[in-house]
Amino acid sequence: MKFQFDSFQQMLEMAGHGPYVWTAVLVSLLVMGWLLVRPLQLHRANLKSIARQLRREQRRRGAGEEKQ
Amino acid sequence: MASNRDWTWFYRLGSPRWFYETTGRWLPWLWTLTLLLLTAGLVWGLGYAPQDAKQGNSFRIIYLHVPVSFLALAGYYLMAIAGAIGLIWKMKLSYMVMKSAAPIGAALTFLALFTGAVWGKPTWGTYWVWDARITSMLILLFLYLGVLALQYAFHSQESGNKASAILALVGTVNIPIIYKSVDWWYTLHQPATIKLTSAPSMHIDMFQPLLMMIIALYCFYALALILFTRAEILQRERKAAWVCELALQADKDSAGEAEE
Repeated sequence: MKFQFDSFQQMLEMAGHGPYVWTAVLVSLLVMGWLLVRPLQLHRANLKSIARQLRREQRRRGAGEEKQ
Repeated sequence: MASNRDWTWFYRLGSPRWFYETTGRWLPWLWTLTLLLLTAGLVWGLGYAPQDAKQGNSFRIIYLHVPVSFLALAGYYLMAIAGAIGLIWKMKLSYMVMKSAAPIGAALTFLALFTGAVWGKPTWGTYWVWDARITSMLILLFLYLGVLALQYAFHSQESGNKASAILALVGTVNIPIIYKSVDWWYTLHQPATIKLTSAPSMHIDMFQPLLMMIIALYCFYALALILFTRAEILQRERKAAWVCELALQADKDSAGEAEE
């Protein structure tokens, strides 16, 4: 197995095909990255909103007991 | 006659809590494996695989194009089967998996089309043709988007689930068409490089990194699906005691971090 390019510059250019290859790579990595980051964001947002709702219910229940 | 106990695994599989906790233990391994395979496969394919005699370096796009296309199709089966299980056994978790598969499938189908277009330009001289394979992949993208849209089109979750599942099942008719399109209509897209029934039509030095990328994409798909499904479980099971506990614990942890 041998590295196919003599220099970094050559690897970027890929004998004229560089722009196509690297565009495909870049867009793929961006989209795939989004597929991993997005669910983590949703996960955290869901946990937060559930906790907020629970605290709100707790407060309301506490206030109700005081009135009685 | 089989005893009732033989079915417990099936019901446990349908328990969102069981899924959430089990996959939670798998996640660190799956993350490591996915990132390692993706990195190694990409470096191998982009830097070390020999260039194609006819296509030169543009052929390196195959290391993304073929794996994402594979998973775009396999993901559709998974989504349709999950929908069918939901319809037949009324399994909640199954619908959550179905919904989670839709955005992943749509994104991968988009990537299959995009990388194909970018590869088409230097190879065929055009970004887009209404070739049978490309057109049927575009329909696949719309099917994924349709399944996702139907989830939000109803007031009741139940109706949305059923509608999505039915569309997913009806859409499976498109899958064999995609597979066979390159044989039935011999237009621009080349026939499959890899077949289960025969040796691959490419050199072994080119094939090995491709195989690695395909395995990497399967791991990636599993990881993304698990992550989306876990987020969906929290959303739909927010009234469950174990989810409430989890949320309060996470809340306490983040408050502790803020104080430090």
